[in-house]
Amino acid sequence: MLIELKDTTKIYNQGKPNEVTALSDVSLRIEEQTMICLQGASGSGKSTLLAIMGCVFPPTSGSAAIAGKQLSRMPDRFLTIHRRETIGFIFQQFNLLPRLSVLDNITLPLLPLGISPPERKARARKLMEHLSISHRESFPAGQISGGEMQRVAIARALINNQPIILADEPTAHLDSRLSMEFMQIMADLKKEGKTIIIASHDTLVSEHPAIDKIINIKDGRIHVP
Amino acid sequence: MFLNSWSLGLTLAGLIILVLGVFACRTAIRVLRHWNPSSDTNLQITLENEIWLASTLVAYGLGFQILTLVLFVLAADTFCQVIVGAMCATGALLANNFGMPALLVKIAGVFLYGFWIVLHKLDISSETYPLVKIKYIYLLLILPLLFADITLQTLYIAFLSPDIITSCCAVVFGSSAETGRNLIVGFSQTGLLFLYYGSIIVLAAVGIILLKRWLLPLAVVFSAGWLWFLGVATVAIISVFSSYIYAMPYHNCPFCILKPEYHYIGFALYFTLIPAAFFGLSTALVEPFKNRVDLAGQVTKYQRTAIKISLIFLLLLAAISSYHYLLYKISGGES
Amino acid sequence: MAMIPKGLEKQLNTLDFALSSLWRRKLKNLGIMMVFSLVIFLLGSFQMLTGALTSSADAVLENTPEITIQKMSAGRQEAIPQTYIKKLNSIYGIRAIIPRVWGYYFDESTLANFTVLALDHNAMPNGSKLNLTLSDGHFPKKTETGTAVLGGSVQDILELGDRRVFSLFRPDLSLKSFQVVGIFSKQTDLLTNDLIVMNVDDARDLFAIPTSHVTDLCVYVANPTEIETIAKKIAGLLPDTRVLTKSQIQKTYQVVFSWRSGFASICLLTALVAFAILAWDKASGLSPEEKREIGILKILGWETGDILAVRFWESTLVSALAFIIGCTAAYIHVAFFDASLLKPVMVGWSVIHPPFKLLPTVTLADLLLIFTFSVLPYLGATVIPAWRCSTVPPDSAIR
Ligand SMILES: Nc1ncnc2c1ncn2[C@@H]1O[C@H](COP(=O)(O)OP(=O)(O)OP(=O)(O)O)[C@@H](O)[C@H]1O
Ligand SMILES: [Mg+2]
Repeated sequence: MLIELKDTTKIYNQGKPNEVTALSDVSLRIEEQTMICLQGASGSGKSTLLAIMGCVFPPTSGSAAIAGKQLSRMPDRFLTIHRRETIGFIFQQFNLLPRLSVLDNITLPLLPLGISPPERKARARKLMEHLSISHRESFPAGQISGGEMQRVAIARALINNQPIILADEPTAHLDSRLSMEFMQIMADLKKEGKTIIIASHDTLVSEHPAIDKIINIKDGRIHVP
Repeated sequence: MFLNSWSLGLTLAGLIILVLGVFACRTAIRVLRHWNPSSDTNLQITLENEIWLASTLVAYGLGFQILTLVLFVLAADTFCQVIVGAMCATGALLANNFGMPALLVKIAGVFLYGFWIVLHKLDISSETYPLVKIKYIYLLLILPLLFADITLQTLYIAFLSPDIITSCCAVVFGSSAETGRNLIVGFSQTGLLFLYYGSIIVLAAVGIILLKRWLLPLAVVFSAGWLWFLGVATVAIISVFSSYIYAMPYHNCPFCILKPEYHYIGFALYFTLIPAAFFGLSTALVEPFKNRVDLAGQVTKYQRTAIKISLIFLLLLAAISSYHYLLYKISGGES
Repeated sequence: MAMIPKGLEKQLNTLDFALSSLWRRKLKNLGIMMVFSLVIFLLGSFQMLTGALTSSADAVLENTPEITIQKMSAGRQEAIPQTYIKKLNSIYGIRAIIPRVWGYYFDESTLANFTVLALDHNAMPNGSKLNLTLSDGHFPKKTETGTAVLGGSVQDILELGDRRVFSLFRPDLSLKSFQVVGIFSKQTDLLTNDLIVMNVDDARDLFAIPTSHVTDLCVYVANPTEIETIAKKIAGLLPDTRVLTKSQIQKTYQVVFSWRSGFASICLLTALVAFAILAWDKASGLSPEEKREIGILKILGWETGDILAVRFWESTLVSALAFIIGCTAAYIHVAFFDASLLKPVMVGWSVIHPPFKLLPTVTLADLLLIFTFSVLPYLGATVIPAWRCSTVPPDSAIR
């Protein structure tokens, strides 16, 4: 099992007046090479769930095992190390560094791994070719189109060959053609063996044929209709 | 003698190190009081972040300490101009009772902070942070040394006055016994050289054996050997090699070799000797941490690296120290 | 590539990123660097200026005898009879006593001031070495009257060219002519630029000093540790004289320098504190953009330590560059512009010697000292802000 959550609870600002229980007692299991869609209203806890699955922070209580490691009580440093080996992120606003070139943006996750510049370049070029953005290699990431940004973000999520890809509202800023294109890329990646989890309320995503399962979240709980 | 740019520079550096140290110790106290790996409270997260702060502060402190060590010796070297009878740093350092202790405390500081960083690296290599308590108790124990360092330094500067008459290196380290204060008596040059090169060979051999096969008693011998070698090498540099560097048989001084006239060769000597001794010493010192949860692998890894580094520096030291000696012998004495 | 260990490669990568990060915030970093360079420039000029002054003072002192005796009358110096030398015969430990005429000659036609020195150089303990300081010729022999050795600028001011004869006025305005028998070499310009060396008899004649009188007596002592005792004995035997030891003169210089340099250091330190506050402020003010960037890096797998390393490299690069710029500018300032910006602070340094070219000798020690005064506080001031910004939580990037 690649991802296994058991009674996972996340409380923000615990013990303070602004305490928020974003997730309560979520249990789920996700197998390898599947594509999952997380659905739910705004504020239901999708992003929080993704963050836990993405080893961004450990759950407040309950257990979360990601790619064979228990997250609870793991110091920040080791969460980070585990995260960079297993998780590729694609964010809603793409979260690229606008003044850095496309190539440098894609290779950002490789710097702390001590990978040499030539190898970084080689890996990034291969991905850029695959995603047909090679012609934008030295453009600043802030000066390319939304669709291109999306591809750069995908390339960055794949650069370290992580087995899991987490995407938070990836199609929110794309038109339907680009959204379909994005889903096609994801479907291809799934075929290559990746596990993909997409949080989205876009029907283009949830109704895509490659989606294996839809998980509904409501007020921080998994909702079975 | 405070109104002098060297004194002010030393004091400034000392104060900066002290401030860094105090901040690091604040973290140490907080960690020792509140550290609780099984909790996920904000405090624990803050502490995890503060561990980074403490280690960064100590790392900077170590860097600055090495710098002040050099600065201190060079400052003494300039102070000698105003002190009657002093011709180089030796005389200036002996001008009152605080010079040499201040120097020794500074050197000890370099070793102790360095060892803390080793401890820290080992600690954060394990998910359980097994050394966290030891590490911060140790850090708190270093703090008095920091205070001692700056106090001795300040006292040294304060009591340094141009009216004091002191001795120069020729008197202190010279082999002519005419003027009493002779620090290094009873070492014959050949005996000393024999000890020096003998120790180098033995240390290298033990190190290589340890790299092939780990034997605890041998590791202890290795580290103890380094402590011994640190002394032997210092004495050898003072009483044998320095005079070949100066090309003057009766000039024996540990500090003059740091001067530009001798191409700063002293720095090369001390900056290979000290790290070599540090890594050599730490090899056995980290041994007790092997039986901590999941630290054995990391400790072994560190030990291997440490042995390798110490051997490389040993080789460099042997080469650099022998250079002038051989040059002198080959060119046939006077040249 | 295969030979570079992972840890080192990682450091290189962070260095690389730090460079590009500095470049992306050119304006801000350039501003800091300029202020920083300026501080280092001031510090450096100052340190190099004192260094150059000290070394020229040392050069002056090197040829100073261990003890100088001058006759005092009514609080003013006057000529000392050479017979005083005999009175000192009883003191044990004196190597040599050399009568000397040392004075200044004011040339009214060119308004120039020359230093006139006359002594029997063969009697000096290191006298034979002195010939090396001449580019050609020899020192006037004891019997050779009417000869002189000139420094470079004396030759220029008197517009001698190839002529070997020149004249100076006696106090009664009669002319005394000299034959040039030697010229000082350029290397000793510092000391010999305005110097005219002649025979003691000629000097007496020129300045109208009574026969067998000189301006001062130079005493050379065999054992340096006995200088003080010998000086005391001389003062006892010759109550109407002022006895100056080399170390007293040296101390006077040192005290003047130490005090001045200490005072100026404190002034500069204030500037430094202001700068450190600026550095702290700049380093701790995290813009939302920077915060976002760090959040992104952290979620992409950068550890807190990696961000710290980037910050470390950034401040190291900024300070290293500022250090190089500042020190180079300082060197140029002192060597080619005679430290003209700092001269007002060091007013009075001309006590040492009439104007000469400042030649700063930059040693590792000087650089280290400048480093301690500038880079160290800067790095120290940026540690905590750097840590602050490295602790931005990774989840700030996904909100
Ligand atoms: N860092 C935080 N501190 C405090 N509360 C938070 C934090 N992040 C999220 N929350 C709260 O937790 C709840 C769940 O938030 P989350 O971002 O997971 O929702 P979401 O499903 O992703 O919403 P959206 O579709 O709008 O992105 C919300 O009520 C939110 O206000
Ligand atoms: Mg969300």
